[in-house]
Amino acid sequence: MESTKTSKAKIAAAGIIPLVLLSVMIVYLFGPGAELVNFGTPLPNITIERVDFVESEIQVTVRNTGPIELSIAQADVNDRIQPAAIEPDKYLARFETALVRIPYSWNEAEPYEIGLTVNDGTRFAHSVEAAAPAIKPSIDLVSYFAVIGTYVGIIPVLIGLLWFPFIAKMSPAKYKFFLALTAGLLLFLGIDAIEEGMEISAERLSGAFNGQLLVATVVVGSFVGLYYVSEKLVSRVSSASKSVAIALMVSIGIGLHNLGEGLAIGAAIGLGEIALSTFLIVGFTIHNTTEGLAIAAPMARQKPMIAKLTAMGVIAGAPAIFGAWIGGFQYSPISAIIFLSVGAGAIFQVIVAILKWIRQDEQGLLSAPTAAGIAIGMIIMYVTSILI
Amino acid sequence: MKPFSKMLFAIAVTAVLASLYFVYPISSDAKEEKTFVTHTGGVIKTSGDVLDPLYTAQTVEIDPDKYLREFNYGRTSSVDGKTVREYTIIAEDDKVMEISPGVFYNVWTFNGTVPGPTIRATEGDWVKVKFINMGSKTHTIHFHGFHAAEMDGVFEPVGPGGGQFMYEFEAGPAGVHPYHCHVMPLEEHISHGLYGVYIVDPKEPRPQADEMVMVLNGFDTDFDAENNFYGANTIPFYYQHHPIQIKKGELVRIYVVNILEFDQINNFHLHGNLYHYYPTGTYSVPSAFTDMITLSQGERGIMEFTYDTPGKFMFHAHKTEFAEKGWTGLFLVQDEVLQ
Repeated sequence: MESTKTSKAKIAAAGIIPLVLLSVMIVYLFGPGAELVNFGTPLPNITIERVDFVESEIQVTVRNTGPIELSIAQADVNDRIQPAAIEPDKYLARFETALVRIPYSWNEAEPYEIGLTVNDGTRFAHSVEAAAPAIKPSIDLVSYFAVIGTYVGIIPVLIGLLWFPFIAKMSPAKYKFFLALTAGLLLFLGIDAIEEGMEISAERLSGAFNGQLLVATVVVGSFVGLYYVSEKLVSRVSSASKSVAIALMVSIGIGLHNLGEGLAIGAAIGLGEIALSTFLIVGFTIHNTTEGLAIAAPMARQKPMIAKLTAMGVIAGAPAIFGAWIGGFQYSPISAIIFLSVGAGAIFQVIVAILKWIRQDEQGLLSAPTAAGIAIGMIIMYVTSILI
Repeated sequence: MKPFSKMLFAIAVTAVLASLYFVYPISSDAKEEKTFVTHTGGVIKTSGDVLDPLYTAQTVEIDPDKYLREFNYGRTSSVDGKTVREYTIIAEDDKVMEISPGVFYNVWTFNGTVPGPTIRATEGDWVKVKFINMGSKTHTIHFHGFHAAEMDGVFEPVGPGGGQFMYEFEAGPAGVHPYHCHVMPLEEHISHGLYGVYIVDPKEPRPQADEMVMVLNGFDTDFDAENNFYGANTIPFYYQHHPIQIKKGELVRIYVVNILEFDQINNFHLHGNLYHYYPTGTYSVPSAFTDMITLSQGERGIMEFTYDTPGKFMFHAHKTEFAEKGWTGLFLVQDEVLQ
């Protein structure tokens, strides 16, 4: 008993000693050893994260994304100095944000460049393609976004589910093809989500946040997390409900993806960057119809369960509505990247589950129907994505 | 909870808190709301700070009011019936000055200011300028006007850390001339502020007038070869917030020098009035009666005008970009001026 206690203490000490040494080193570098590492001139850097056009005023959200404290000295619109107010104050610590309010009678749909000059005279600018009034939550807008979300998310997924009877009557080889097709569709969506996340991090997020690595971290995190949880779930259930479990996972993965899609649409409308055309909605609708197919395929060997299928369609489609609300009313690039990356991780996990499902067959994984299915799934998604 | 679930929970909490910190950072307590009127007339209510290019007397490091009417005639002596004027000009290049509220910029200075002192002599006087370079780079003074080749400030570099040179020449021709450092890269030395005005009065004095100097200049504070700020006598919008007081019916004479770097042209527009313009000030007959002249870098002249009605009159670059980046001012015409 005594000996186990001491050995435990030893183990604990072995765990803690490196941490103690590390903190001693950090304290030293920030304190007496500061001169050792302070060479070079740190330059101020700010990121303009948001520009809102409100009644006779332009509101700019700015963040100090540089290595040093700074103060904002001046604001300009289209490179012309404008008096402005800054709240809570003009001094920004690292990562601190402030709101700059510029009184300005702006013109709708015209492009603007907003500039902020910091204390060392460096000017940072941010362009807005077309000024649009900042949207404020109202019953009209909430229902408008709900309608868009329904068109983009729920309706196409439900339409896609109508393929269920078609797939259900298929020969095993053809069925395998459709399962692989699902995997292909999902693979495309996963890559798409990562690409979207990367794009947001490049365009809207300061380099200080390492947006690309945030995408990688969240994708891998959600993949391993969901993989573990689903293994636990699937191992407990019978083979019959296994297909339902996989379909459910597919719909959750697609739901997260559609949340990201809704975020993107809501944000684009909110930031005045796209004129929402019928064409865009039609494009998304056609593109997302394939998602219904992806949910239907794993369940096609069971008796049709209308209620379950519909529920899954809603799980997959409805998040588009929430996404549009969040994106339109409270857009933040970080949350968009996180949602998209979680979606990508979830989708990759689902692909692995489907491929495992296919492999149960004696022919193994790499048969002609599987290869063709994955390839054609990707191609369908690519072609329909051009419509958007 | 199983250990694994505990771990999962810890990871989830960490992730959520981390993202919340970045997305919604903590902001300081709200302060009292105040109202201010911007210099363009807009009204805004805020609990925060005001970003307005309004230069107040307390924060002035370069005083455009003082500079406007300050002339340096030098230490005067007479040698063989000829007037000798001696000046001392010291160059420095390490000063950091607040050239606009909140904007700090490394200015290079003659006698500690941008522009440097206004040197004034009468045609035919012997001018001696003792130049001391206290900077960290080589500097010179190149005067426009008549002088010998070896007094040109181009091939006579004056070394840093106390190097000296005596510029000597006979003042002439009558008019208004710039002086500036002529060390390469010239653009760098001029845009940082090494320039000033040299006035030569004709032997027959010009009529009595309220005289002032305006150097049209600018600053490229982020070194992208484009000016961020423009002004008359360095400080953007200064004379808009501190109108130049002049007397109704009195002749006003402005010695205008355009030293603006980077931009091809500059100009001077006067409201509610026109002025007689004497290019370079070398002829006694004006070349134009106008409210608008265009100047390229180094061009200069004398303007003369009189206001017959009291009130506020604007003067500014009619290149509106320059006007909106600081090159805007006001004359306040009064029946009596309290000096």
